[in-house]
Amino acid sequence: MTGGTGFLGSHIASELLRQGYRVLLLVRPNSQVSAHARVEQLLTWFGISPKDKRRLKVIEARMDQPDLGLTQERYADLTNTIDEIIHCASNTSFSERKRTEVERANIEGLQHILDLAARSKCYFFHHLSTAYVAGKKSGPCREEFVETTSFTNVYEETKYYGERILFEKCDDEGIRLNVYRPSIVYGSAEDGRSLRFTALYYPLRTILFLKNLFMKDIEESGGKRAQQMGVKMGTDGSLHLPIRIEAGNGNGINLVPVDFFIKAFMEIMDTCLEGSVFHIVNERSKTIDALVEYTTRYFNLEGIEAVRTEDFDKQSRNGLEILFDTYVDAYKPYMRDNRIFSNDKTRSILEKKNIKCPDLDYELFSKCMQYAIETGWGANLFGKQHQ
Amino acid sequence: MISEQARQIASQCRHYAMCKIDFLETGLCPAGEKRHYVSYFPQGRMDIYSALANNLLPLTEGLVDIANTCTLCGICDKQCHFVTGMRPLKVMEALKRHVEASLSENKAVTKIEEDAVLKDLRKIVGTEWATNDPAILVTYANDPFPLKDMQMPGYVVLPRTKDEIVAIVNMANKHGLPYVVRGNGSSVFGIVFTDGIVLDMNRMKSIAIDRDNWVAAIEPGVTSFDLQKEVQKHGFRVNVAEPAATVCGNIVCTGIFSTWSNAYGVAADNLINAEFVDSAGHVFDLNDVGAPNIFAFRNEMVPPPGICTKAHVRMYPTTKDEQGLLVPLGTFDEAVALARDLSARRIGVALAVLGGHYLSTFMSPSAALADKVKENLTKSLDINSMVFMVGDRYARDAVKKMAGVTIDDKLFRMLMLGLPRLAEDEWAELLRNFEGDKYAYEIFCMEEMYPLLEAALSPSPETLAGAVDEDLRDFYAQLYSRPEMTDLVWLNMFRIISSRMARHKHVIAFILYVPLDRIDIIKEINGLFKKVGDKYGIENEFGFLTPMDFGKRAILEYDYYIDQTSRSDAERIGKAMTEIDPELERLSADIKGIKLMKYILSQGCARKEHFLYR
Repeated sequence: MTGGTGFLGSHIASELLRQGYRVLLLVRPNSQVSAHARVEQLLTWFGISPKDKRRLKVIEARMDQPDLGLTQERYADLTNTIDEIIHCASNTSFSERKRTEVERANIEGLQHILDLAARSKCYFFHHLSTAYVAGKKSGPCREEFVETTSFTNVYEETKYYGERILFEKCDDEGIRLNVYRPSIVYGSAEDGRSLRFTALYYPLRTILFLKNLFMKDIEESGGKRAQQMGVKMGTDGSLHLPIRIEAGNGNGINLVPVDFFIKAFMEIMDTCLEGSVFHIVNERSKTIDALVEYTTRYFNLEGIEAVRTEDFDKQSRNGLEILFDTYVDAYKPYMRDNRIFSNDKTRSILEKKNIKCPDLDYELFSKCMQYAIETGWGANLFGKQHQ
Repeated sequence: MISEQARQIASQCRHYAMCKIDFLETGLCPAGEKRHYVSYFPQGRMDIYSALANNLLPLTEGLVDIANTCTLCGICDKQCHFVTGMRPLKVMEALKRHVEASLSENKAVTKIEEDAVLKDLRKIVGTEWATNDPAILVTYANDPFPLKDMQMPGYVVLPRTKDEIVAIVNMANKHGLPYVVRGNGSSVFGIVFTDGIVLDMNRMKSIAIDRDNWVAAIEPGVTSFDLQKEVQKHGFRVNVAEPAATVCGNIVCTGIFSTWSNAYGVAADNLINAEFVDSAGHVFDLNDVGAPNIFAFRNEMVPPPGICTKAHVRMYPTTKDEQGLLVPLGTFDEAVALARDLSARRIGVALAVLGGHYLSTFMSPSAALADKVKENLTKSLDINSMVFMVGDRYARDAVKKMAGVTIDDKLFRMLMLGLPRLAEDEWAELLRNFEGDKYAYEIFCMEEMYPLLEAALSPSPETLAGAVDEDLRDFYAQLYSRPEMTDLVWLNMFRIISSRMARHKHVIAFILYVPLDRIDIIKEINGLFKKVGDKYGIENEFGFLTPMDFGKRAILEYDYYIDQTSRSDAERIGKAMTEIDPELERLSADIKGIKLMKYILSQGCARKEHFLYR
């Protein structure tokens, strides 16, 4: 398994161990914290028992190198050991200026793992992809590989080309292939815990940062800067942050909690033995209106509103709006999404076990926010140690 | 008797002589100002304490006088902390205590007898200004360069006039004694040492301004700081180097280069005339028909042309609308390309590409803060390089149009005065997770951000002062309430913060001229320094790159950082230098425009055309 120290990968690795699998993690070396130490930290977070840990082996490997940075002997050992590969390693940056790194991880890295699969006795390849390989489009997106050429960002693009390489190679080598395509994953619906605080969390974190900043300015420095930005105290101790969010005319954001994703992944892996493509998504997207309502309620704010594109006059944007807009620019395509992900295949498997994607209601939103704030948005996840 | 804490502080003196200029308007060390010998300044007292800790000094009359004249006024603590973060007052106290204890134990005070040479020297300069007392000699016997062992001179003399210098040279020749000249009493690269006579020029500090010709005539003890201050009063600027370095010394040694070299050039470009006393004791100036041609260049190591006793340097006009501007950039390549383009277009009076280490170190009043800021600059703000320029409003408008994102005077002041808050993790995390196609600094520098930045950073002298020791905070708050302390133009003219680059460790600077249109070669050279530095475990950083001559050439500095008291660091730097040297020689032989500073030493008056266009 690759990507075992990432958000979804670590959840999968832990669940595999809990279920009694023998897991071998290929983990990227890091000059500051050793691969073993990082894995150990995560397993503690997941509460994996010492007994389960015994079935885990960690090997430092570099996915950006053809031989994975391993000696010939080590590489040969690997080829004799592997039965199945779960490939979660990925660079999830949307940023065009990081294109080189993203391509290296999502295309070259994948090729190197596929080479390993081809040279080993691996018979099943599980690939963690994204529902957004569908690229820029409106309407239904099928659970299969569909040719496209237009993408929202470098992440979607490289995950798409990765899939194309993957299908060809697995077909050539006779390796069975499951492709798992989640939408946007956030914390656990059960307890709000999460390991990663980007995507859904980032705009919320930005809002909270602004709130704290201006509250402090008002309370301690007379509020001059707050006034310059149109920020003032609202009713009942709330803070008025004048931010209109251009919500577009889409369906809202497709969000799935991580515990649902894991249940779905494990069930599909156990059930689908012939190989296929699966959308692990929420059948009900969350509207920006609803998220804005949750946010203002939870953080005791006023003035934030979601506005439809035709009602949003860009010329009249205030400083805060320009700022917020720039901050969340990368997430806009997902806020104004018109893509509808069909999930017939996934549903047919999950229904039998009554696995359903929970709705992100206010209670769940609150749980997730509470955990995010308690852990300093990830900074204090592992106690005193930093992420 | 010897305080370990004081010994450790004393052993770390960088010998930058910053305690010999009044750069913070605290006034100078009173004893040093009166007695002029390095020994009476904090730097000298640090050396003396180190020597005492190593049992190298007897109790002499000089030592007693040096200890007694220290008033423990604390000026040294403020000055030295500003640059190095050290608190030398503890050393001053320990030195006084040590001497007092020796005297109370009735230890004999040694009087060093006057010999024939000293008698002759005192005849020339007066009794007070020549000595052979070891407590004074020892402060001219060391520098932090790790490959140079201690070398005690026989005598130190402080002449006041050219005629006295002629007499000293003649006397030295008569006795067959070697001599060296120290502009400000200091040495940092292990060069200015002798067993014979050290001439310290600290008493020759006159400056004459020729307003009509825009020329300043200076004596050899005039420092860059003092000259800049004087010409600024007349609305001018000079191209000078580090603030405590003497201008004549710089002119003769390496020629003057700085970020202002983009407009003002280097070496002979800034020199109108100079007067020398040669090794035979003859006086010449550069306009004498029979004077040696020191504008010529020989590609070999040559001795200096003589002792520079006066120099006439250019003063340059300034405009009232000048301000500094920083252009943050995501890559070194982008920064070099922009700097070259600006130089070719003659935009910017001062111009340079700066590395993150310089910027964070210069701006931060403490090493801990500098470390955090440096990390945030690269990891959170995506700033990997910075182009710095000073220009009038037309030049700045042009740069803003060309570069898009800039840090102007107002934003710089805000950032500097709010630096401790900028280093806080919350900011860093928020920016680090920014996923847009823009660099994080592009958001940061948006004008819409200013009120938010003000709210977040609470920029004020008090905020910045929060980064230093509690007992110094009031002083720092007052200091940073002076507008010049956050003014990019003033800071670049007076360079009082650039000495901070050696705050955490001693710096060995490698300086060479490079062809600016060959970024591949510049990167190869940087890569070579990095590779060798890393190989020997030496901390290393790119320093700066200043375009000159319309972007044809540039001055490159790459720095190695070492512990000046560590034997193993000395060995490693020795090996590294042995490895780098032939590589640079090869590049210099193969590629036009590469010139190593070691060949320019003592030929600082040469025309740049003679050493750069070969």
